[in-house]
Amino acid sequence: MLNADAPLDLTPVAAPMVARRGRRRTIGVLVVLALAVIALLSQGLLHSLNYFETIPQAMQSRVKLGTSTIRLEGVVKANTITRTASGASFYMTGGNNQEVFVSAHGSPPQLFQANIPVVVVGHFTSATSDRFYGTQILVKHTASYVAAHPTRVKAPNGTTR
Amino acid sequence: MMKQLSQRLLGPVTFVLLALTFWFGLWVTPPDQIQGNWARLVYVHPAVAWVGLYVSFGTATIASVLYLWRRTRSPVMDRIAHCAVEVSVVFIALTLITGSIWGRPTWGVWWAWDARLTSTAILGVFALGYLALRRANDDPELRARRSAVFAILAAINVPIIHFSVQWWKTLHQGATVFTANRTLLIHGIQAWTLLISFFAFTLLFFWLLRARYRLEVLRDARYELSLDEALTQRRREGVR
Repeated sequence: MLNADAPLDLTPVAAPMVARRGRRRTIGVLVVLALAVIALLSQGLLHSLNYFETIPQAMQSRVKLGTSTIRLEGVVKANTITRTASGASFYMTGGNNQEVFVSAHGSPPQLFQANIPVVVVGHFTSATSDRFYGTQILVKHTASYVAAHPTRVKAPNGTTR
Repeated sequence: MMKQLSQRLLGPVTFVLLALTFWFGLWVTPPDQIQGNWARLVYVHPAVAWVGLYVSFGTATIASVLYLWRRTRSPVMDRIAHCAVEVSVVFIALTLITGSIWGRPTWGVWWAWDARLTSTAILGVFALGYLALRRANDDPELRARRSAVFAILAAINVPIIHFSVQWWKTLHQGATVFTANRTLLIHGIQAWTLLISFFAFTLLFFWLLRARYRLEVLRDARYELSLDEALTQRRREGVR
């Protein structure tokens, strides 16, 4: 029987246990979090902090690159695209007017067209060749947005009206 | 009076601006010269990313700093930070989803492990970690303090995400609005629609934050009430 006049001791008796459990849980969360971040970092940033090599960069370290797989960036040269049964071939230009012939397998993205920047995953066909064999084409579109005007017509001198 | 009016108007104004964004984005604006109709995602994806990365994480960081500062420390700041991070999880997820939907037809892949995408995914993991950390601690004061420190540390990633397209070579395009030389790369009705979308999604964030905050207040009140009831119950047991 409890005495009604006696002050009640409402101190939580299991407080130290709860604190320990909270600390264990916190450490658990932080460990899982650290593992997730390390996994993302190793996959994304440490292997490809710079996602691609530009053509001048690739040409400069041509011997070192050999036939290893890289991501090569450049602009698709106009009037050089040839659609093949297995993909497309075209010339890609970079800074200093350097050109690389690309023969890519697999269907290119919807936006693939002349004068568009692309990143081609693949490798040079030999240690000294300027021919690049691509296994995947990625379109790297610019940050500019220009409204299309389908009603405009092209004048004989090439201007739009 | 003004506060009440602004609170009452927040929902309807948000709804009108969102409706305007979708109307302009889908019917009024022309397609893009290169991206065609896919460019219409520019009226959703950047605005959602703006809210997920800058507005909500910024709100959480400011509230966390104010909680850690003794003069302004209050459960209100902790609640605001908590609710802002919860809303940010939704917006970060939307950012990654709309980005993927955009990436497939434009880049040709759903996902690329470039610096911008990876650092955004890491922020999403940080936001989930923040919420997990809150659940791991039962002591409200300790929970608030640890969460505040964590939110501030996680926010360091936000400038890394922002400048990733300038610091490194990424597949993700550079800035269209917040360019390094402050030149807009979008014009006319497209630019206006983009601006409306930024306002619409920012207001949506504050509307969601307010709703979530009120829910949190009610939850705390219910917890206090149940605690009082438990104490009364124990007292009654003592009397018998």
